[in-house]
Amino acid sequence: MHALLLLNSLEGFFFGSGKAHVVTGVALTILAGLAFAMWRMDRRLSRLEEENANPPS
Amino acid sequence: MKGGWNWIWKGSSIALLAYVILRGFSTPLQPGLVSATPSQLTLEEHTLTLLAVGQPFARENAQASDFELVLRSGDQLLATVLTDVQPHAATAKVRIPSTLPSRALDAFLFTPDAGTLFLGNACFVEDAAKGDIPTEFRAQAPAEAAPKLGFSFPYQPNIMESIRNLLWHVPMWFAMFFIMGLGFVASLAQLRTDSVKWDLRAEAAVRTGVIFGLLGLTTGSLWARWTWGAWWVSDPQLNGALVTVLLYSGYLILRAALGEDDRVGRLAAVYNVFAFVMLVILLMVLPRYTESLHPGKDGNPGFNSYDLDNSLRAVFYPAVIGWGALCYWMYTLRLRMNRIAYSLLSR
Repeated sequence: MHALLLLNSLEGFFFGSGKAHVVTGVALTILAGLAFAMWRMDRRLSRLEEENANPPS
Repeated sequence: MKGGWNWIWKGSSIALLAYVILRGFSTPLQPGLVSATPSQLTLEEHTLTLLAVGQPFARENAQASDFELVLRSGDQLLATVLTDVQPHAATAKVRIPSTLPSRALDAFLFTPDAGTLFLGNACFVEDAAKGDIPTEFRAQAPAEAAPKLGFSFPYQPNIMESIRNLLWHVPMWFAMFFIMGLGFVASLAQLRTDSVKWDLRAEAAVRTGVIFGLLGLTTGSLWARWTWGAWWVSDPQLNGALVTVLLYSGYLILRAALGEDDRVGRLAAVYNVFAFVMLVILLMVLPRYTESLHPGKDGNPGFNSYDLDNSLRAVFYPAVIGWGALCYWMYTLRLRMNRIAYSLLSR
């Protein structure tokens, strides 16, 4: 690693060691998880709204 | 058709945020000078080494003669002779005259491909007398070349790589303002009509807004640790943000404390109107009247033209729309839960 990248911890850590790809991957995974959880909740709520509007007799 | 449109905007918000993450973390930083060694100079010849971060400002085996380094003292320029140029470093010989207009020297590195790199107060001359730079030591300002760096984020001293946090921290606050504004309108409508449907909206908006407020505080604290060296500093903008989030937490506590009381809707609406007025005062008015470490001080607590450039805007605006839409989606989920719960409880 170039000595410059050791100049301060973030500069060296982030791009110098290729950890930027790891950060991108983790952030995308969290976003995908959040999107999936919200999509599932959205569908469940739609079902509950339907049941609530037409309660089983 | 309504269902189709719903999934289009919800999917678009996720796609926009995915774009923001990919672009935000893969775009390189423009080169910027960070240090000069030695930083204390005496009246003799020195070998000065400048270090840079971000993209390389020179290719491997670049010719030093294609670059030029001048030092500025006051409004006069001091010549140097570049001896070596590396992708992230430049070395030059400099002779210090006995008289200088200022003991503080700024460095300007003129490059053929990366534009002009600047380092303010790069070094200090300990024992120079005050006076003009002798003619034989002076430099002429070289012609500046337009940078050819491609899509890259601007280098800002201290902020450096952490400039990417702009795509998280600021849009999260914008999303909070937006959703708290919706809550404020809902509370006004609730006070006017005394209809529970507005109360359900206000509660959903505040609950969502508090989440985004906490995220804004967390990302801001992380940024402060990096740029200012402390997790929290006593600054009007920061304290105002914390008080705002605490005020809105008080709204949720008030509702929980009142339980099934019939007056909960009206009381909470009055509190919410008060909280929103405080939000405006604490985050938009007071910081304009006080000195602040936060960007855009001196009258404007937001952005100025130096904080953003076009490459940042190309990612920042999608981030604002993406976070705003995600926040609205969360709000609609909470609102629908509130409606179902109310409908079941009132049977």
